[in-house]
Order: sequence, then C-alpha cells, then structure tokens
Amino acid sequence: MRHTSLVATVAAAGAATLLIAACGSSTSSASSSAPAASTSTSASAGSAASSTAAGSSASSFLGCMVTDTGGINDKSFNQSAWQGMQEAQSADPGISVKYLQSTTQSDYVPNINTFLGEKCGIIVTVGFLMASATESAAKANPKQDFAIVDCSYASQCLTGAKLSNIDQLVFNTVQDGFLGGYLAAGMSKTGKVATFGGEDFGTVTIYMDGYWDGVQYYNAQHHAHVQVLGWNEQTQKGEFTGDFTNQTKGQTVTQTFISEGADVIFPVAGNVGLGAAKAVQTADAAGGKVSMLWVDTDGCVSAAQYCKYMISSVTKGIQSAVKNAVLSAATGKFAGGTYVGTLANGGAVLSPFHDFSGTVPAALQAELQTIAAGIEKGTIATPTKSPV
Amino acid sequence: MERVSAATAGRLPVLLPPGPARGGGAAPWAGRFGAPAAYLVFGLVDILVFGLHAKGDVTFSFTPEFAKVSVPNLSLAAAATAYCCGAVTAALAAVRLLDVLGVVAAGRVARRVLIGAVLFLFVIALLAWASGGQPIPFNVVNLLSGTLSESIPIMLGALTAVICSTSGVINIAIEGQLLLGAFCAAIATTVTGSLWLGLICGALAGSLVAAVLAAFAIAYRVDQVVLGVVLNTLVLGLTGYLYNAIMVPYGDTLNNPATFNPVKIPLLGDIPIIGPVFFDASVFLYLTYALLLVIHFGLARTRWGLRTRAVGEHPVAADTVGIRVLATRYRNVILAGLIAGIGGAYFTVGSVGSFGPDMSSGEGYIALAAMIFGRYTPFGAIGAALLFGFTTQLQSILSSINVPIQSNLLLLTPYVVTIIVVAGLVGKVRGPRAEGIPFVKS
Repeated sequence: MRHTSLVATVAAAGAATLLIAACGSSTSSASSSAPAASTSTSASAGSAASSTAAGSSASSFLGCMVTDTGGINDKSFNQSAWQGMQEAQSADPGISVKYLQSTTQSDYVPNINTFLGEKCGIIVTVGFLMASATESAAKANPKQDFAIVDCSYASQCLTGAKLSNIDQLVFNTVQDGFLGGYLAAGMSKTGKVATFGGEDFGTVTIYMDGYWDGVQYYNAQHHAHVQVLGWNEQTQKGEFTGDFTNQTKGQTVTQTFISEGADVIFPVAGNVGLGAAKAVQTADAAGGKVSMLWVDTDGCVSAAQYCKYMISSVTKGIQSAVKNAVLSAATGKFAGGTYVGTLANGGAVLSPFHDFSGTVPAALQAELQTIAAGIEKGTIATPTKSPV
Repeated sequence: MERVSAATAGRLPVLLPPGPARGGGAAPWAGRFGAPAAYLVFGLVDILVFGLHAKGDVTFSFTPEFAKVSVPNLSLAAAATAYCCGAVTAALAAVRLLDVLGVVAAGRVARRVLIGAVLFLFVIALLAWASGGQPIPFNVVNLLSGTLSESIPIMLGALTAVICSTSGVINIAIEGQLLLGAFCAAIATTVTGSLWLGLICGALAGSLVAAVLAAFAIAYRVDQVVLGVVLNTLVLGLTGYLYNAIMVPYGDTLNNPATFNPVKIPLLGDIPIIGPVFFDASVFLYLTYALLLVIHFGLARTRWGLRTRAVGEHPVAADTVGIRVLATRYRNVILAGLIAGIGGAYFTVGSVGSFGPDMSSGEGYIALAAMIFGRYTPFGAIGAALLFGFTTQLQSILSSINVPIQSNLLLLTPYVVTIIVVAGLVGKVRGPRAEGIPFVKS
C-alpha cells in the first residue's frame, strides 16, 4: 500500500512537470502561424539543436537559422529557408550552417540568444511571428547581422525604428498569384475556379488576392465570367481551414468546391494542400476533370505523387533569397534593408508546367508571358490588401 | 505520501452517496418559459435577419458531383422561404408555450421533435439568406456527406470515450490514440500494401496508447487528466520526430499509402439523396454504424455492459459481488483504444493517404466533448459529433460562396453552435460516479 502510493506520487509529480511543458507547447502552437507540429523528440524539450557535418575547421563564417514551430520539414518556408542555408554552404566552403528548431513560440528568444553566444556571422529567423524577438535582439546587438523571412518594416511586421542590421526578405507573391489566377481562369472549363487558405494571415491572403486579380484580369481581357470561389479581394472574406495541419479538412473543403462546379483549385495552406490534392485525385478518378495549383514550392518536387494534377505552382523564392543573404553576409557585403522577391528577380514566379506542358494551350502560355512582362514593367497593376 | 493516500481515501465516500432526486419540485419561471422564448427568438431571427435581407432565389441541388442519375434541383424564393420558416417556428413556440401552461401535453419525444424542427427551419432560413441570389446551387448531398466525413474520427473517438468513462477511467488521450493510429496505419499500409493490415495496425496503435493509459491510471493511480494530456504530447512529439527522421527521407517507401475506396451497398446506395450519403461511403462509416449498435446494445443489454457500468458507478459494490474491477477496467480501456485507433487510421488510409505531423488537429478533444455533451451514451455522443461535423461543413460551404461574415468568426461557429445547442438541450450532465477515481481494494 505504502509502496504503491510512493510510485503514484512520483509518477504524478513527473507527469505534472511534463504537463507544464506540455501546456506551454500546446497553447502557443495553437496560435502559431506555421504548421503547428512539435518536432522535437521529447515532450519537455524546448528546442532541438542540430548542426550539419560541415568541416568546421576550414570554415570561418557561421550561418545560423532559427526555425518557426513548423520545423525543418514543413514542405514550406522553414524547409525552403534551410535549403537556402545549405546551398550557401555548398556554394562557399568557408561557410558552415546550423539551425535551432522552435517547438513553441516561447523558444524564439532563447534560440536567438543561444546563437548570439555562438558568434554567428548571420542569424536568419524564419516567419513573421518572430518579428518582435528578432527586432529586440537586433536592437540590443547592433553589430550582429540578422535576416528575417516574410517580414518587413513596409508591411508593418517590424514596427520599431528602422535598424540597419536586419535584412528583410519578403516576397511579392501577389504577382505570381496573379499569373496563377489567369492560368486557372484560362484552363477552367466550368467557369469556376477556387482557392482557400490555412489561416487569415497576410502572407496567405496576398496569394489569394493575386489569384483573384488574375481571374478578374482574364475576364476583362476575354469578356469571360470566370468566378472565384473561396475568396473575394474586395470584401477580404473567404474560405480558411483554420490550421495548417488538418489535411482531411482540406479534402472536404475541396470536395465542396468541386461539388459547386470549380475545376481548378488553389490551396494556400501548406500540408493541408495534400488533402486538396487527394480530393482532386478522387474527383478525376470519378470521371471529373479537376486540376490544381500548388503553392510556395514546386509541387511536382515537394508533392510529386500528385504532380499529374498540378497545372503549375505559385512559388516563393525563399531558398535563393536566404542563400544570397548568407553569401553576401559571408563576403562582407551585408547591407540590411529589404529584399523583395518579384517576378523580375525570380523571387515570385510560376513553376514549369511539368505534366501539363502539352495541355496548356500555346496561346495561353504566350499571354502569360506578356502579362508577366506587363507586371514587371508595372503596366499591369497587381493590387493587394496585404502588401509586403 | 501519507497525504496522497488520505486524500484518495477521503475522496471516495464523498462521491458515493446517492445523488439528489431528479426533477424534484417545479422548475423556476425562467426554466419553464425558457424553451418557448428561445423558439420565438429563433423564429424572429428567421424573419427579421434572414427574411428581410434575403434576395433572389435559393436553389438546392440533390445530386453528387459527376453522378449519372440526377434529381431535379429545387428552386425557392429566398425571402419567402425564410418568412415561412420563421412563421412555422413562431407557431411551434406557441405549441411549446401551451405545453408549458399545461393546455396540451407533449411527451419527451414530442419535445425533442419540436427542438429538431426549430433548428432545421433555422438552418433552412439561414441557407435561404446566405445562398439566395447566388448562381451556384446549394448542394445538399455535399453538405451531408461532408458532415459524415468530418465526423468519422470524432464519432469513433467519442465511442472510445464513452466506454472508458462508463468503466470509470477518463480517457483524455484520445487525441494521441488518433494520431498514433494515423501514423501506424500509413506506415503499415505503405510497407505491406494491404489496406486492411494498415487498419489493423492503426487500431493496435490506438490500443497501445490506451494500454499505457490503463497501466498508469489503474495500477499506479496517476491523475488521469494529467496523464492523458502527457500521453497526447508524447505521441505528438514521437510521431513528429519519426516523421522527420524516417518518413521525410523515405517518403515513397514509408508514407505513400493507398486509400480505401467508397463501397456502395447494393439497392440502398441507389436511393436518391440519402443513398450516396449513407450507403456509398468509406468502410469507416460502416464500421462506425456497426460499432455504435454493438456498443449501445452491449452497454445497455449485456452482462459485459452491466459490469462495465457497475465498475464505473460504484466499484466498491461491484467488487463486493465478485466483479473484478481492475481487470474490467483494463480490458475496456484497451479495447476502446482499438476504436480510437481505427478513427486515427481514417485520417490516413481512410481519407488523404499520407501522414502529416499533428494531422489529428485536436479532434480527439472534440470527441471527448462530444461524449460529455452526448450524456455519456453512444447515441448521444454520435449525435454531438455529427452536430459538430454538420456545423463545420455548413460553415465551410458558406465560406466558399462568400457569405458576408468575417472568416475567423465563421470558423468559430461549430464550437459556438455546439456549446449553445448542448447547453440548451442537454442541461445538467451527470457522469459515472466513479469516473476518474482509481479503485483501491481495501
């Protein structure tokens, strides 16, 4: 009797300790922007550190990255950013890179502080949720170079006085979203195309704004009446699944769109897009002719099993932006300021058509090139209510 | 440790005296007139909010996409529809008022039907307003089949919770059981190529989490709420780690499962509207039907059910008459874990295929809520799960046709509606008396 109560007490105490860690983890990841997955091995571990097997003896420049809560394999911005870091390392043998993973939002500051003590040449923080942590660290350490992905002073993500040691990497994805919308409208047979987001964040709705713009532009050019389901730029209201993890929700939302007659679907929701792809696959197996656009990365690479349903992907060049930021810091050319990925510099472009290269009409492909040129020159406006 | 045993000993007798007599005395004024007043409010909303703002025609479509047979669409004037719904609702409020005053005597079943009718009319009026004037018909089949596919994991999780709670063990670890079930089903199906093996592995994985829960809760008497939350976090971390460590690098060979195709039941599947919704669906839905019936019958009518209720209600008495309390609890919790594991397998091999981190997205907690809202009964729990699935799907359809409501606000509706309906309909819920209290044989 006494023995078992002892065991119970110890177990309860251990469990309670774990619960404190668990509470912190679950509450903050629920409100986070990124795919809210805990990727550390232990429930109580705040962060998981990892460094690559770079020849540290030869390297003189250390590139450091703090991930958002989505983790390093989120098929989205954290993964792209880390690939950029690794590319910088392979481009210049003098660079070595490492990352710290944030399990919850409360890990941002400690992770940045850890790197501050490690003499990093540059600290890259990923995602707009890290804005205030990055800003205060940059203010306190004016000699330390920082780069932040998806966040800038212009978009009021960074709010304080402008600091010269933060390189802001943002992407004007309204431009390639516009091309995606035009492409979708041109490919639609039913006259209805659809989009949905994970959560109502500026980095999500900027894509949806572009998509909506593109469809309206197509309608104006072709006197067509293609309809956008799931988003309206003017009212800023539309369809969101509520998170970036529930793929089943992405599937049912897409089935709803298909039942309403949409035949090109554009999910802007990270992994939830896989549910959309499954719904598209099911519809095609049932005799429908539905296709989709992927977001952020080239879907034929990141979700290759669904490549044959993807007309194209509306990408965001985080990888090359991060790579360039690290390389320029390593060569002493760090300048701070804002890098805006655009159609012109390859930071926000449509991916190749892959399996659809024979299906997209040549005329439509030519129109897309004309429009791309027009957007680059500024003759075609790409309005958005979520500017970068 | 003295304190712990004293506290445990002190808690038991407090919970064991018989509860207060139910329904004693007249209900207070607000309680008696609450129901008719609420109905009237619904009727007024139908008329003043939906009716006055509705425009054009609302078209209901009853055909699934790409179906060969089609049922003709139903087109109604939106405003008139909302006004009619409001008028009928007001009439129902009057009937309920007469019932309260004792002029007509409505039974319990009749009152439930009244509530159902009021809510049904409310939804119709809402749709008339939201969908009126839209060029896209409102697809009723999509609404219903989406409801079911949203609800399947919640329904299965809720059935698990019902069995565990009835046996006297709080199972908060349903979330973890779903997630590990999803993970193992994806791996097993990809590796073996067999969907059924994947389903079985998913069920066993759910059962594994349940076994850990049972061991700590029953043998070591750890606080069951804390324990459940810890297990969920453990599974979340474990599957997240394994996903990064093995599923990402070897995605094709470990995380690329096939999925179950819908199975059409002959004859029943050909019935218009309900055929494609209820009888041309995933095997998981048929499993849910079967489990619901088995558990309902089992708990209410069998020796197993009687003993299960006894150990959850009054373990000391059960022990006295020779029921093995701890063995019963172990067996029930582990068996119930199988059901949640099947629910988890639905996330991967039942719907989207590949596994993703945290893909159960908190539905295990919703399942737990559904059980409580459903008064700890299988049918009640399934009903609450379906209500949640229904509002989720309705919200999703309304978002897709650009209803002028803020997206974030609309995303809240499933939770709000569930709370309101449950608070209004269910009233006070009493769980099994010994729920969450470890049994110590004295």
